Amino acid sequence: MKDKINGILSEVKTKISEAASEAQLQNVKSAYVGKQGSLTLLMKELPHVDPAQRPEIGKLLNQAKKEVTELIDAKRTELKLKASEVSPDFDCSVPGILPAGGGLHPITQMCYDLNDTFRSMGFEIFQEDDITSEMYAFDKLNFPLNHPARESMDTYWLEGHDSGSTNEKLCLRPHLTGGSVRYMQTHKPPYRFVYPGRVYRNETTDAHHERAFFQYEALIVDKDITFTSGKVMIKSILSKVFGRDVAVRMRSGFFPFVEPGFEIDMECQVCGGKGCSVCKHVGWIEVMPGGSPHPNVLRAAGLNPDEYTGFYVNIGLDRLVMMRYGVDDVRLFHSADLRFLRQFR
Amino acid sequence: MKLSLSWIGDYVEIPEDMDLKKLAYDVTMSTVEVEDVEYLARRFDNMAVGVIEKIEAHPNADKLRVCKVDLGSGTKEIVCGGINLEEGMRVAVACPGAVVRWHGEGEPVVIKNSKLRGVESYGMICASDEIGLGDLFPASQEAEILDLSAFDVPAGTPLADALDMNDVLLEIDNKSMTNRPDLWGHYGIAREIAALYDLPLKKIEPWQADVESDFKVEIQDPDRCTRYIGVEMSGVEVKPSPYKMQSRIWKVGMRPINALVDITNYVMLATGNPTHAFDADNISDHIVVRRAAEGEKLVLLNDKELDLCGDDLVITDSEGPVALAGVMGGAKDSILPDTKRVILEVANFESTGVRRTALRYDNRTEASSRYEKAIDPERCDQALALSMQYFKELYPELHVTGCCDQYVKKLERAQIDVSLAWLAKRLGKDLSNDVIRAKLELLGFDVEIEGDNMHVTAPTWRSTGDISMKDDVMEEVARLYGYDNFEATEFTTTFTGAINQKDQDLIRHIKEYLALRCGMQEVYTYPWMNDVYVNAVLGSTEGVLKLSTPPAPDLGCIRCSLLPNLCEAVMKNERYFNDFSIFEEAQVFFDRNYTSLYDETESLPEQRRHIGAAFASSVKKIDQLFREAKGALEYMPRYTHMEGFTFRKEEKPVWADNVVWLNIYLGEEKIGDLGLLAKKVSMECGIKNLSVMLFEIDATKLKPLPSRTNTFAHLAEYPETDYDISMLFDSDAAWSDIYEAVMGKKKASALLKDAAFVDEYRGKQIPEGKKSVTIRLTIGSDEKTLTSQEIENAAGQVMKKLGKKMGAQLRAQ
Repeated sequence: MKDKINGILSEVKTKISEAASEAQLQNVKSAYVGKQGSLTLLMKELPHVDPAQRPEIGKLLNQAKKEVTELIDAKRTELKLKASEVSPDFDCSVPGILPAGGGLHPITQMCYDLNDTFRSMGFEIFQEDDITSEMYAFDKLNFPLNHPARESMDTYWLEGHDSGSTNEKLCLRPHLTGGSVRYMQTHKPPYRFVYPGRVYRNETTDAHHERAFFQYEALIVDKDITFTSGKVMIKSILSKVFGRDVAVRMRSGFFPFVEPGFEIDMECQVCGGKGCSVCKHVGWIEVMPGGSPHPNVLRAAGLNPDEYTGFYVNIGLDRLVMMRYGVDDVRLFHSADLRFLRQFR
Repeated sequence: MKLSLSWIGDYVEIPEDMDLKKLAYDVTMSTVEVEDVEYLARRFDNMAVGVIEKIEAHPNADKLRVCKVDLGSGTKEIVCGGINLEEGMRVAVACPGAVVRWHGEGEPVVIKNSKLRGVESYGMICASDEIGLGDLFPASQEAEILDLSAFDVPAGTPLADALDMNDVLLEIDNKSMTNRPDLWGHYGIAREIAALYDLPLKKIEPWQADVESDFKVEIQDPDRCTRYIGVEMSGVEVKPSPYKMQSRIWKVGMRPINALVDITNYVMLATGNPTHAFDADNISDHIVVRRAAEGEKLVLLNDKELDLCGDDLVITDSEGPVALAGVMGGAKDSILPDTKRVILEVANFESTGVRRTALRYDNRTEASSRYEKAIDPERCDQALALSMQYFKELYPELHVTGCCDQYVKKLERAQIDVSLAWLAKRLGKDLSNDVIRAKLELLGFDVEIEGDNMHVTAPTWRSTGDISMKDDVMEEVARLYGYDNFEATEFTTTFTGAINQKDQDLIRHIKEYLALRCGMQEVYTYPWMNDVYVNAVLGSTEGVLKLSTPPAPDLGCIRCSLLPNLCEAVMKNERYFNDFSIFEEAQVFFDRNYTSLYDETESLPEQRRHIGAAFASSVKKIDQLFREAKGALEYMPRYTHMEGFTFRKEEKPVWADNVVWLNIYLGEEKIGDLGLLAKKVSMECGIKNLSVMLFEIDATKLKPLPSRTNTFAHLAEYPETDYDISMLFDSDAAWSDIYEAVMGKKKASALLKDAAFVDEYRGKQIPEGKKSVTIRLTIGSDEKTLTSQEIENAAGQVMKKLGKKMGAQLRAQ
């Protein structure tokens, strides 16, 4: 009888430790300590046991039953803690719920990135009005009257303000540089500022030409600086935009309001300078004009050009964003099309 | 502008081993942008001169012939449909691998061995336009094969060799040389290359007239015509020019015409100075250069009939205008088929006058585009010398019967003093005087150095405005020294305190708040508005500033509000989205308060910066949409740290629904509106199912606070309890009044910490004329933990007060 009890006990212990679920555990419970369980049945045989052994056997049985019940309870707690709150077929590949979905315009994003960069270099941010006079759009920028460039930047003139002297003629600004003169007029040198803004040209639009587009002008004016300082400005812009150092070159270029003037090229980011269809196989892409402000421009701003000089760059934000993301139609920026805008987070 | 390298080589000897990529790079870096370097011969790869030995009929096609063609390496059979085939003829054969265009049109095609109507054909015998030579060898009729019999070369000669096409073409960006009139010709670029590499430049020796006659030229307007040379010649006729001249003219993009015209074009392309030839027999009396009289007429070579005006400069004879000076010759008196005597014009015209005239008649030409850059009058000498050289070469019988050089206004060479110390400072590099002098002298400048002063005299060809001040001289030194040879230098920093631009930051914070916190999408629209939306949203286009030449007739108005374009944007997005919100920040313009902060003579209209927003949805209820829009505004000051707004109901915006609208106030000043777009306006905007809530505020009026506005309160020591009550109010009771009654000056209960709106409900189980409002009360004490009885009592006080003040009743649960 003793052996029988010990046999059952070791058998039930194994079964309890092997039970993988509460249901299995329950089966074990009813098989040994349930109404028809083998330990319960042994209990019922107790009256037939030799009376001398009865107390000992009875104690043994009771201990065994208690031990089994305890083991089952402990195992049940263990199984409960191990189990999940949900069924095992819970699908974790279901997509997450998007946080409230808004965004800044990609050009605003680019503009703010650049603002942060220039702020960290001690530049102020400047903003000016969109409507300006011909005086500030051209005269103050060293464009002689009848200069072809006055026509090349086909300008939107305002009805009722499209004739007369240049301080009477009003237009949507064709570039930002006139506004920079306003800044210089009203601030004390040295200057270090950036000037983001929208400019307007009256031209036919296509995938690469827009009537309204964004420029980003950066200007530094001080005593004793050289045009080579401009390279630092240019590199700062491009490395911010592209996230790495970008090779640039400055070459001779002509714009009435700078002297000397430069065309600034960057290494083609598509082919890495090897030459491809994007860069017309030259390895370089023209990204911005730049140069030292023309003495006449500094004079217009009330500065003595013998004393002051500076460096200026003017970058097309639209083009930069297009290059950065591979956008192939500049008109998308003003489309207000959410299918386009929501791609930029 | 296209340039032929072999032509440039006439004037400067480019070393055989010169790397052309490097040449293009150097010219690009220092002078003008070389956009393309083309090895011309590559166009004629796998093409050769063949001699037709035998022509046989094609067995299967009437119009085709089978030619046996000697290609040097052997005889091949080629099927051809040309109508001028002859045995013994030299022809251009495109062998397999060559690239041609069928009949000169369409996409380029690579030639392969193929069968034509059952007969094997090795490549093809070409017409001139099939291999891009249509302008150099114009065909007189359809299906005419290019006859190269005049080229005495053996069969099998590569076509590029036979036609002298082993040349390199440089394509230069015209924009990059608008300020360099001296570069508009092969000689000018040769001079620049000579300077870049210190190579000898060939001089063009001036031509001296050796004739005495009464031929004369008269200049009546010396400001507009500074020099005019006329040369009268006989012994000429109209005939083709030599192949070399024709091919060079063709290579750089013009068309050879006849020898007389070709000489004038060739000289222009060589020197950059336009020239012209008149038929001398048609010129009556002598040439006078003068302003046109009002009403005078002139028919140009391109048959355009002009009514001239007093600003036009014309070349005239005693009968009237014969040419539009610097722009184009007249049809009647220029070279004619039977011309036997010519008058050659080599002249200098003032730039802006030529430009005005060319623009006035929309008649810009190769000549006018060169004159309008301002050419120096000394260049006439080169143009004259080259012209006479070619006249003599082409017409051995030439007889100069008259010559007159009226040089009425000499050009002064620009004189500039430059401080060497200044130069060193600006260059950021101390170049030796010898280097500076050498660079400038290479460019034709005369340099005298005395102490710190360098006196520079610019060459005539750089003295027409291009070089006028010391900064120009600095640029010349820097570019010839090479921009690549200047290292980037950090700018010297002067710290003047941190930058604090609250106004700038505020706009950015608002935009980031709307986009990132409110989940709205920023959009950009144009500053002009479509009349449809202006009329719908603003009521009329009257009083709105307009463009004089708008992008389209109905886009004339420029915006005084951001809302019309936002409504258009909503309409356009309705196709794809049924629930979205957008905003825009941009300038708006008003036809009033003209003034300028910068110049007292300037007067600019009032310009302000607005922020506009649209919340559009066909799935949300209007009250929800309204609360979203209002919420975005209400919490904006809190998140962006500016002075807060208040809402009032003073003046309904024209576009708004009769009930759902508010004016936005900052202190006592109205700064914007909020409201539901009226159904009628919405329909006029083409918006179909979306309800649209709009707001617009004048961001210029917003007042940023000097710092963040967060405040700190001690955490509650004892627990606070939220307790919701629902009460029935009159349907038109305002939440602001309810709140005032509960939380106003006299709080309904001392234990009340806050009262918040949860929701309101009208409808089932609510009596007519009533609404149920649920209010969440926050109840607590600073001194102890409240018992549930105390909490109940506090809520009871609130309900009692609302009952008394607003007639509210507890809603039956």
